[in-house]
This record gives sequence, C-alpha cells and structure tokens, in this order.
Amino acid sequence: MLLMPEVSDLVSTIKERAVLEALGRSIFTALGATAVAVVFGTPLAYIMARKTFVGKKFVEGLIDLPIMIPHPVIGIAILSLFGRNSLWGELLSRINIEIMGSITGIVIVLVFVGAPFYINTVKAGFEAVPPRLEKASQSLGAGMTATFFRVTFPMVWRNMILGSVMCTARAISEFGAVIVVAYHPMTAPVLIYERFTAFGLKYSQCVAFWLIIISLILFLTMRFFSRERPLS
Amino acid sequence: MIRVRDLSVHFPGFSLESINLDVKERDFFALIGPTGSGKSVLLEAIMGLIPMDRGAIFLNDREITKTPPERRGIGIVYQDFALFPHLNVRKNILYGVRYHAIPGKEAEDRFQALVETMNLSHLLNRHPLTLSGGEKQRVALCRALILNPGVLLLDEPLSALDPLLQDEIKNLLKSLHQKLGTTFIMVSHDFSDVLFLANRGAIIHRGRIEQTGAIQELFERPGSPFVAQFVGMKNVYSITGVNGRRVSLGGLDVHLERSVPGHCHLAVRPEEILCIDGGMPDHFSNDLSDHLPDHTQDFSNRFSGTVHRLVNRGFYFDVFIRVNGVEFMAQWTRRQVIKKGLEIGAPTWIAIPERSVHTF
Repeated sequence: MLLMPEVSDLVSTIKERAVLEALGRSIFTALGATAVAVVFGTPLAYIMARKTFVGKKFVEGLIDLPIMIPHPVIGIAILSLFGRNSLWGELLSRINIEIMGSITGIVIVLVFVGAPFYINTVKAGFEAVPPRLEKASQSLGAGMTATFFRVTFPMVWRNMILGSVMCTARAISEFGAVIVVAYHPMTAPVLIYERFTAFGLKYSQCVAFWLIIISLILFLTMRFFSRERPLS
Repeated sequence: MIRVRDLSVHFPGFSLESINLDVKERDFFALIGPTGSGKSVLLEAIMGLIPMDRGAIFLNDREITKTPPERRGIGIVYQDFALFPHLNVRKNILYGVRYHAIPGKEAEDRFQALVETMNLSHLLNRHPLTLSGGEKQRVALCRALILNPGVLLLDEPLSALDPLLQDEIKNLLKSLHQKLGTTFIMVSHDFSDVLFLANRGAIIHRGRIEQTGAIQELFERPGSPFVAQFVGMKNVYSITGVNGRRVSLGGLDVHLERSVPGHCHLAVRPEEILCIDGGMPDHFSNDLSDHLPDHTQDFSNRFSGTVHRLVNRGFYFDVFIRVNGVEFMAQWTRRQVIKKGLEIGAPTWIAIPERSVHTF
C-alpha cells in the first residue's frame, strides 16, 4: 500500500488543511491522553506492582477491560456515562465541559483505550525493581520521595517511555470508540474512513500513508529508548 | 544500646511473637535460626521497614518505634547486597552522604579510608553487575559504614558467597567490628559462622526466641532440644530416670559430671563420641583425642554397639551406632573408619566422656 500512491498525491495530501488538522488532532489528542495516563497511571501502576489488597484482581481486570472489549462498546459506555442525558454528563455540561463531539470527549476515549498499555508496561517495570533496593535506600537516609526519584525512577523510566509510546501509538490509531463519541472534529482514522466510504480506496490511501509514517516514527522511538546500554 | 520489647509482627501464615532482645554497645550480636524462622523479619522490624503489630524498640534509650527507617541511624547490609545497579561503585558508596549532614571534607576522608580498607580503589567506576560476590559485599559494607551508623544490621552476610570468599568476608567483618567499635547485629543460619564472629546471640525458632545469651553459653549449655540440635548436638534424648549423677537413657546408664535435678533431656555432640578399641582405655585410638586431652582418661560411659549406617561426608563419616536400642551418631575421620574396618553390621565400642554429656 505504501508504494501505490504517487508522490505528488502524497505531497498534495499533506498540504491539505483538513488532513493536517486531522493528523494534528490525532497527535494532540493522543499525546493528551498519554499525559493523563502518565499522571494517573504511574501511581496506579506502582500500587498494582507493590501492594496487595482485597479486590486487586478486579482492578487488574478493569484496567485490562478496554483491551478485550470491542472499541465501539467503549465509545457507547463513555457516552452512556458522560452523555448529555446522564448524571455525569449533566454535571460536566454545567461547567461547560462537553463530551459528545468534542476534543475532551476524544481524549477521554483515548485514555480508556491507551492507558492499559501504559499501566501494564510501567507495572512490569516497577515489578522488576527489587523492593530491597528501595529499603536499602531508606536505610541510607533517603525518604520515600527521594528513594523514588533516585532509585525507582532511574530503573523504570525506560518502561515509562515505552508505555507512553505504546499508549500514544494505540491512541493515534483508535477509530471504533472515537467515531461513536466524536465523528467531528475529525481525527486521522475517522478522516481515512470518511474518504474511503465517500471517495474510494485511492483517495484514502494518501492519508493512511501519513498515519503509517507517524506510527512508524513512534515505534522506532520506542525501540531506541528501550535498548539496553552497555555497563562499564 | 538496642532494646526490643514485646515485638510482634503478623503476616498471613507467619508471625513473630513477643520478641524481647537486649543488644549492648559494641556487641557482635547474632540472630540465629533455620530458614523461615523469622530472623530476617525481625531485622527489618528493627530497621522499621515492616509494620509492627505490637511492641517497642529503643536505641540508646530513645524510643524509635515510630521513627521512619531513614531517621533511625541504623544501617543494613542485605544478603543479596542490594546495590543500586544504575550507579557505579563510587556513587553507591556515597549515596547516603547527602542525607546525613556530613561535611564534604569529612565525607571524603571517610570515603578514602573505607575504600582503602576494603580494597575497592580500582573498582570505583565499575557498575555492580560487573562485580564478584565478595566485591559486592565490600561495596555494600562500605556504603553502610560511611554513614557511621549506631548499629549495623547484617542479613545473612555470608550465604551468597562461595566458601573461599566466606572466609575472607568473615575475617573482614571481624576486623571491622574490632576496629570501628560499631554494634553489629547479624542474621545467620550457620552456627559455625556465629561461633567465629559473634559474642552474644539469640536463637529463633518459628517466630519465637528460644534462648538468648553469650555465644559460648548457647554452644555449651543449650536450653531446649531445638537449640541443642541447632548448635550441633545431634544426639538429643529424653531422660527416662535420674539417680544422682547417673541417668537412664533407654536401657543405658549414663554417668554425668554433676547431678542434674529437674533436667529431662540429654545431648551429646557427634564429634565428642569417641571410637575405642575393645572398650579398654589403653587401646584408646580416637584421632580427635589430639584436641580433647581432658577426655582421654574419662571412660565411665563405655558402650558396645553395632554400626547400622555410615554416611560418607568426604573428610569424615557420620557413623550411626545402635546400643541397646539407643542410636548414637558419631563423626569419625575417614582414617579411623578405614583403619577399624567399620562397615554396616560391624560391632564397635564407643566412649562418651562425662563432660561431653549435656543435660537441660
């Protein structure tokens, strides 16, 4: 598919305002969702890796749920929870936050589909840090915050980058849940779908090409940051 | 120095119950027990790294029960060393300096002195993953000692090392303790290490302290069958009758050095059961007699029995001898076993010196 479109078509496509906006929107919302996942997912991943509590399996199941269920179902669930006729939707609309057909709605959807990838990757990173290292750090005088930043974080930051890239990549490619919550404003996958259904394969290929390139860059970044460094 | 009062910790399937300990200043104190007895949990409770259900801990008469671990002034060296893998040796050693308000010059002096003592100068830029077990242990000790802790906790400091390195680290620990005068509390499951290193100790079994005291006292006067077994008295029996300095053991009369009112157990170390020829003192031929001169003329407990099991331990044999239905385990050298032609079913004589019979 990469070889099929003409270079001139690709160039003209990337110059189109609608395409640039859709790609930009996809990147912006995906990065926004990743930022939310990092802020809330990191402590959650730490708790899931270190603590034992009643209902832990249930919480793990909830985190993994968006990976397992069809994504339009996630969109429908979010609309049911935050739609205009729901209690939460009403509360949010009172403070001028709209979910349906808005950037906020897209970000919320992308958090749901992308966060499990971030949380699970970072959780694996925390699990790989022996608790004894943190205890040794405390015995040497470092408090819990200092221990996190001097011992735990340096050992999991690669997992955090890896998780962020996976979360972003997953969010950029999301279509099923986004189309339910926000057909407009259009993200790149929705634009590709629209062009495919309205104008056919050739017209959608050029946008798809640029989406693939962005995803490729993200995965190459992931491989770059996750590589092992030789020790002296 | 360190006082532990009524300390209890409960986990699912395990608990430490009512632990009381007194560790004096400059002690090399050993917490001794088999795997799973709770000694490492006790160490982490003293450090403040696990929550206690009950009890109090005092350091120099100051209660530290609720003090966070980083402010207790206690250091710990773990069995697996717990070196930070992302930091080189220098940064590992200096890790805690910034939290202890040690002036730069003094920190540098302490660093240089310790690095020299521990022979680490050539390793300062290496990462822990590239170090041998002995080197890691020295770095871990250095990292804890640079902070001049009031007490240093050592969690099984020798168990992750091969036998040659164990000797090196044992000597190092002993000389560090003598040189620095820091109070050491060591966890170990090996009584021979404890005998070499520690002056006082406590034996822990199933989350409770069985006996505490001077190491020599634990070694020579165990207070229970478990402690007796643990300190190497493999022959432990219930006494069936007492008559002055004589006690009945099954069908045998055993003579004691002194009378033992109230005692109900008897124990003998396998290496103190002597192998004799024909039960006659003038034919005494135990190689171990070289370092047991006092025992050579003590033959009041002489028994004739039959070898019913031989276990080859390399340099020596575990020889199991049955005497009137009572089984004794002796440790005799390979030379003795070969010279006497001992084999399963062979008759043999044994002697147990009176002073080798321990009662409790």
